[in-house]
Amino acid sequence: MSAQPLLDVRGLTKVFGGFAAVSEVDLAVRPGTIHSVIGPNGAGKTTLFRLLTGTHRPTSGTIRFDGRDMGGALPHAVSRRGLAQSFQITNVFPRLTVHESVQVAVLARHRRTWNLVSARQDTVSAEATELLSEVGLAAVADAQARTLSHGDQRILEVALALATRPRLLLLDEPTAGMSPAETGRMVSLVTGLAEARGLTVVLSEHDMDIVFGISDEVTVMHRGSVISRGTPAEVQQDPQVAEVYLGGEQ
Amino acid sequence: MSQYLITFLSALTDASSLFVAAAGLTLVFGALRIINIAHGSFYAFGAFGVTTVVGAAAGGWRFWLALVAVPLAVAALGGVTEVTVLRRVYSKDHLAQLVVTYALFLIFGDIALRVWGDAARSVPVPSILGGSVTIGAGQFPVYDLFAIGVAIAVGLGLWALLQRTALGWRIRAAVEDRELLASGGTNVPLLFTTVFVIGTLLAGLAGALAAPLESVSPGLDSSIIISAFIVSVIGGLGSIAGAAIGAVIIALFNTAGVLWAPSWEPAFIYLAMIAVLALRPWGLLGTAER
Amino acid sequence: MEPLTNKAFQKERRVAPALAGSALIVVVLALLPLTMAAAPLLNVQSAIGLALFACATNLLIGYGGLVSFGQGAFFGIGSYVVALAWLHLHASFWISLVCAPIVGGVVALAVGLLALRTRRLYFALLTLAVSQLFYVVVQQQETFTGGANGVFGPMVPSFLVNPANGYWFTLAVVVVGLLVLWHITRSPFGMTLRAIRENRERAEALGVNVFRHQLLAFVISGAFCALAGVLFVVYDQSTNPNLFNWTESGYPIFMAVLGGQFTFLGPALGALIYEQARDVLLASFTDSQLVFGLVLLVIVLAAPDGVAGLLGRGGRVLAGRWRAIAPARLGGLPGDQADGADNPADEAGQHETVAH
Repeated sequence: MSAQPLLDVRGLTKVFGGFAAVSEVDLAVRPGTIHSVIGPNGAGKTTLFRLLTGTHRPTSGTIRFDGRDMGGALPHAVSRRGLAQSFQITNVFPRLTVHESVQVAVLARHRRTWNLVSARQDTVSAEATELLSEVGLAAVADAQARTLSHGDQRILEVALALATRPRLLLLDEPTAGMSPAETGRMVSLVTGLAEARGLTVVLSEHDMDIVFGISDEVTVMHRGSVISRGTPAEVQQDPQVAEVYLGGEQ
Repeated sequence: MSQYLITFLSALTDASSLFVAAAGLTLVFGALRIINIAHGSFYAFGAFGVTTVVGAAAGGWRFWLALVAVPLAVAALGGVTEVTVLRRVYSKDHLAQLVVTYALFLIFGDIALRVWGDAARSVPVPSILGGSVTIGAGQFPVYDLFAIGVAIAVGLGLWALLQRTALGWRIRAAVEDRELLASGGTNVPLLFTTVFVIGTLLAGLAGALAAPLESVSPGLDSSIIISAFIVSVIGGLGSIAGAAIGAVIIALFNTAGVLWAPSWEPAFIYLAMIAVLALRPWGLLGTAER
Repeated sequence: MEPLTNKAFQKERRVAPALAGSALIVVVLALLPLTMAAAPLLNVQSAIGLALFACATNLLIGYGGLVSFGQGAFFGIGSYVVALAWLHLHASFWISLVCAPIVGGVVALAVGLLALRTRRLYFALLTLAVSQLFYVVVQQQETFTGGANGVFGPMVPSFLVNPANGYWFTLAVVVVGLLVLWHITRSPFGMTLRAIRENRERAEALGVNVFRHQLLAFVISGAFCALAGVLFVVYDQSTNPNLFNWTESGYPIFMAVLGGQFTFLGPALGALIYEQARDVLLASFTDSQLVFGLVLLVIVLAAPDGVAGLLGRGGRVLAGRWRAIAPARLGGLPGDQADGADNPADEAGQHETVAH
């Protein structure tokens, strides 16, 4: 593992009308690792993710991705630079089929969305099919996305993000609302992908078993600031974290 | 000097029924998020209804009866419409809502044609409000002053309703912060019906008020809805005060335009509407970012 | 590779019957002048022209999710290009035929740049205002545009004045126009447009510049609506400012909703139904507006997929019976697309046919 962080965030702050949702956050994510961001509701995790994807502009601080400054870049530009996200609220294309949804993502990556002429896109279609096989959705490829189970929709979410061949994948609460079986599937998918593709993953989670089970590093947030970071073992033993977050079994 | 005053008052007269109509439209949009094309139909019903009640007799009491009864009848129609038709489209997309209100516009327009025919009608001004008042060197119709007075009263009444009553609080919550409304345990469907009825009442009242001022003919529904749209957009969809300001601006524009640049005057209005929608869609006083 | 070829093959098989059905309809339409009198033929001609107008509008509404209440502006522009080029420049009709869509596209570019940055509800109002703006300006500028009376005269080449020729010309232009539009909807651009309609934010997050894609759709729609306007002139031998009125802009929308916004030919079906129904109603009693309004209400509230959706469902029920006998799926209504137009009742069927 190289020493240079793939994602390097320094002093990131976002203020909404007097209220600091994110305050002086530093984050360093090394390539090829799985990095979890945890914290109680309202800790600022979602705002942090929105800052990283360009949905919000930072009030101050810097975001460097792969050595390049990302401050203020718009979502579609962020996506092009290799940082993809899957949303917390399931955010798919309801009336497109699963296969079509992934095709659109692949088309976007190839910049072929402007093509008015050809009806057949064999390479794009094949790539989409391959991706669906990889995430285990091949069986429902021709079903409309809105008919999928919640777990399958979340996996489709991940597939869409993957289709853009990102270097870093942001997963905002990927297992939210899932049954144990679906959760297991998602977890092995994420770890499998990270290994197979050398993908860097940053995820926010509430399920501590997952967090401490698969993460290389953990960052703990509380009320917009980072209160602890380190390996899972280090964080688990940090008394500050125990006091604020883990104190009292959930 | 008095000539300018009279011209200004004339514009205010136009603004009066326009304000009352636009207030209803903008209220419904603000709280229900529906652009009600059929609002124009309710206005037309108000105007036509008055012509029926008053008939050819210039008797005063008929007019007062009409001014009260017709808007109430129109409001009742609005309530029925909301419960039977509109409730089913709140959850649907914008296209469905636009199509539904336009379908109602077509249906009501056709009904109006069947009931009242296609001849233009007029309503004589009641004798108490007849004649004119001397202002400086000129004359100004009493009824016009009355219309302005009614509009001001409506404006004040709406202000009181929205700022001082529990219902008004709920309506403002619906306009500004929907989540707040839902969490408070309000009966939202009933609230929506109430707002729609108020909006329709205003449309009917505006039409009734305007009946003695202009000729009442088919096509009234179409022309008023366009004007009401423009006023609401410029003032800010959802804002009553905005509707008042917008109505005055448009009326002044119309008057000035007719006097100075008659050939370009209608175009100015639409250009203004386009400019507002493109650059500042929430208008003068609406809430930004819908 | 087995599953891929199978799936692609199955999709192509669904399209083939749809194309065959459409071709049959075109042939039937082409033969009509041999049997029909001039007056009813003219009505069919009008319906065919409106079908192009409705389908071009549906590119925006059904495929793009953009409710424009101002496509009448481009329809009017197309017709006025022909009329005014004839009136002032004595230009050949054929040159105007080529120029009209270009002018329509350029104006659409300008309007789109202004209008597409706003939210959906405001977009509808803005396009309505644009339509009305044209309406008043065209009426005002009498010396240039002929004012409220419009423009009359032999602006259409004499051989097209012959009813049969005018009809075949309209049919030919519409068939070509619809083929091009259909091809666009099936292209990667078309799929991207639908994705934007389904979830704008998600498309943006995938790297799609939503504004520019919608702008292109707006320009294409404007160009084809203008082409439909040219066909109106062939039909009417004149033009008038009412085409720009906002109430006229409503018609292609309603035809799309009536026929079905989620299938390609749905709006064409809506145009045909509307034209025929209007004639029938006008003949028997004068309440076409009432009936039209009621039908629209029923469609929106009870059958949002429109008439095409209803027929498609019926067709699939029948096809379902066949599936027990024949493994291949039959197409539904001609133009019933395989992409995303199906209703949930069909999901079971789709799962069955996917090879694994």
